[in-house]
Amino acid sequence: MSRVIRAAVFQTAWTGDKESMIQVHEQAARDAAAQGAQVLCFQELFYGPYFCQVQDKAFYEYAEQIPEGPIVRRFQALAKELGLVLVLPMYEEEQPGVLYNTAAVIDADGSYLGKYRKTHIPQVEGFWEKFYFRPGNSGWPVFDTAVGRIGVYICYDRHFPEGWRALGLAGAEIVFNPSATSRGLSSYIWQLEQPAAAVANEYFVGAINRVGVEELGSNDFYGTSYFVDPEAQFVGEPASDKETELVVRDLDTAKLREVRDRWQFYRDRAPGAYTPLTAP
Amino acid sequence: MTTALEPALSVRQVLGLERVLAGEPEVVAGAGHLDRPVRWVHVAEAADVGVMLSGGEMVLTTGVLLAGDPEAQAEYIRSLHRAEAAAVVLGLGRAFPAPPEVMRRAAERCGLPMVVLHRPFPFAELTEEVQSRLVRRKFAAVSLSESVRTALTGLITAGAPLQRMLDEIAVHSACPVVVTNLAHRVLATAGERSAVDDVLRDWERIARQAGGIEGDGWVRAELGGRGERWGRIVLCGYRGDAGTGRLLADRAAEALVLHRMLVGAAHSWEEQSAQGLLTDLVSGVVPARQLLPRARAAGLPVNRRTFVPLVVRDASATRLDRVLRLLGLPGIVAELADGATAVLLSLARDQDPEALATHFATRLRAGSGDGAAVVAAADARTGWDDVPAGLREARHVAEAVAESPAGLDLPPVVRLRDVHLRGLVRLLRDDPHVQSFAERELDGLLCGTAAEPDLLPVLRTYLATGRNKSRTAQLRHVSRPALYRRLEAIEARLGVDLDDFEQAASVHIALLAHDAQQGRNRGSAASTVVEHGPAQG
Repeated sequence: MSRVIRAAVFQTAWTGDKESMIQVHEQAARDAAAQGAQVLCFQELFYGPYFCQVQDKAFYEYAEQIPEGPIVRRFQALAKELGLVLVLPMYEEEQPGVLYNTAAVIDADGSYLGKYRKTHIPQVEGFWEKFYFRPGNSGWPVFDTAVGRIGVYICYDRHFPEGWRALGLAGAEIVFNPSATSRGLSSYIWQLEQPAAAVANEYFVGAINRVGVEELGSNDFYGTSYFVDPEAQFVGEPASDKETELVVRDLDTAKLREVRDRWQFYRDRAPGAYTPLTAP
Repeated sequence: MTTALEPALSVRQVLGLERVLAGEPEVVAGAGHLDRPVRWVHVAEAADVGVMLSGGEMVLTTGVLLAGDPEAQAEYIRSLHRAEAAAVVLGLGRAFPAPPEVMRRAAERCGLPMVVLHRPFPFAELTEEVQSRLVRRKFAAVSLSESVRTALTGLITAGAPLQRMLDEIAVHSACPVVVTNLAHRVLATAGERSAVDDVLRDWERIARQAGGIEGDGWVRAELGGRGERWGRIVLCGYRGDAGTGRLLADRAAEALVLHRMLVGAAHSWEEQSAQGLLTDLVSGVVPARQLLPRARAAGLPVNRRTFVPLVVRDASATRLDRVLRLLGLPGIVAELADGATAVLLSLARDQDPEALATHFATRLRAGSGDGAAVVAAADARTGWDDVPAGLREARHVAEAVAESPAGLDLPPVVRLRDVHLRGLVRLLRDDPHVQSFAERELDGLLCGTAAEPDLLPVLRTYLATGRNKSRTAQLRHVSRPALYRRLEAIEARLGVDLDDFEQAASVHIALLAHDAQQGRNRGSAASTVVEHGPAQG
């Protein structure tokens, strides 16, 4: 049976303050819903600047509790109003001093389904994330939403094939990869890694990257958000590398079955031979 | 760029030359590597020949210094391999009656093509033959490079448009030429029309390959500068040798980058591409069906879609494109003329075209701040063939709106039904009966406008305000007695009684038709009321 998921991702530039940034995303959710989108994922740390360009504890303020914090509550109401599944990548404070780079998943009826905490945390020039986040401890949750089974793999995670695989084994149909990555660093692999993950694991991937240069550093975020299908083919064009853009695409889940029936990667994988991968 | 000047003769091609065939060549090792390019042919007997090579040579030897020394034979082959020689050719008879097994085995291990000549001939003949061919090829490559460069530089200097540049490149490549942005969206094409269409028909599949475009005879060159790539040029199915194809693509890419930097354009290549497509659609010169591959290649989804033709006044193409991106609406945008910009939305069949057109217009107005942008729409079309008529209808509505007095309470999206009589008159403006009617009705004023140029504007305001004398006097900045005098003059000249509804309506329709015919002057016609604020239509 063919089931088409109208899925969306949204890329935008830092507005300069948290409240207007939230409003821009609320409007994006309304714009997506106007088109009949059923699920929408925002960019990494969506309501803030990409503060990891500097190491400044003032930005700890951006963290809030998930799901008890006001932003999750606010977007739960919006998800319910619009009948839209929302993936909210945000800065999470579990308790003071225990902070994560997290994505909360809200179902189309506004209920909170759970969260994924970014597992792999970089610490390189312009991406000083270890200053802000503990490595995630949520494992590889896949959320059974109103529109399908959704996984989240955040930014730097994408360089590690193991998590992509774990999400596939847990039944993900779409994996969102909210990111903040800059032109000089990764643009040439941005359209290689996620398509490779999509075909290796035979599911859809929605990749999101913010746009523009922010006041905290010279990182030039190049957008180019896109959806890619289980054959590693782009679904429509990737988005602009400079402009704010909402990407809405129809993902036909029949494609997932068709590709898995053709390429039996799940049948033919050999977990018994992979023990060295998990040796400490 | 030096790669383009590499010779294009392979080991296999050298062995196939008539002069070489006469020597009865036999490949005894490295048969899987015969497509290596031969850069030069070198005769060498020295055992340490490797140190004299710089790579890519076909080395000819009789082996006189190697006979009887298996270790030297093996080392000879290994040194050729280390020096990245293309192949070794051994003339039998002088030192070796048969292919030496040690050399053959060493060559096989290294993957070095080893050829023996059973009927050796003077090596000088072979070197002359190959060398002259290589030189001719090099010369041809340099000559081609120069002629392409000269032609393209000439075009840049003359300020030629992008299309002219591509046409020139297509002449040299004799295959379809496509320029895309990084998203693989086709921005421009050149070459024989049917061949280009064949390429574009399959473009969606090609463009969606995440790894990019590959294939036989597909030669790509990146477009960019200052550390940023922004597109590529593709020769689609170049039939010449790979080196020449690369040379052409590289020269073309250099020229296009220079063109963009020096000639530049008021509009980006994306805008120009959309403009060409929408202009052709509106004009109807090319049947819509033939434009389908171009539309698809320009990134517009066309299969099982609903098309919404819109024309927007007083909003730039750049701004409209930005709003489309913001809303995630697939569509193309292009400036038409006279400040009108066409937007063609492509929606999924389950989406509500009216609701989304309204959403687009509302968000456009909210973003622009002044709320002035008027979005004219035609009814949605489910067939591509109906799109041109839809675009023309939307343009017609937009023009009718532009001729309307400002301040009319128009909805965010204006349709044919919203422009009433004005829309009808505009549709009929080119009809000779309507033209003669307008001239007949207004003759008395049009002939005398030189003497009293303000009578026509007064009449227009008077009719637009619903024959409200005080409002007309106020808007025209004249006293009531002065207005009465002018109205009397108008009635006298036209021979009508403006207090009679039918006569006034007749003059009004004639005036609307006159203004529609004078379309180019409509700005000033409308501003009579616009600049003075709202009026009733």
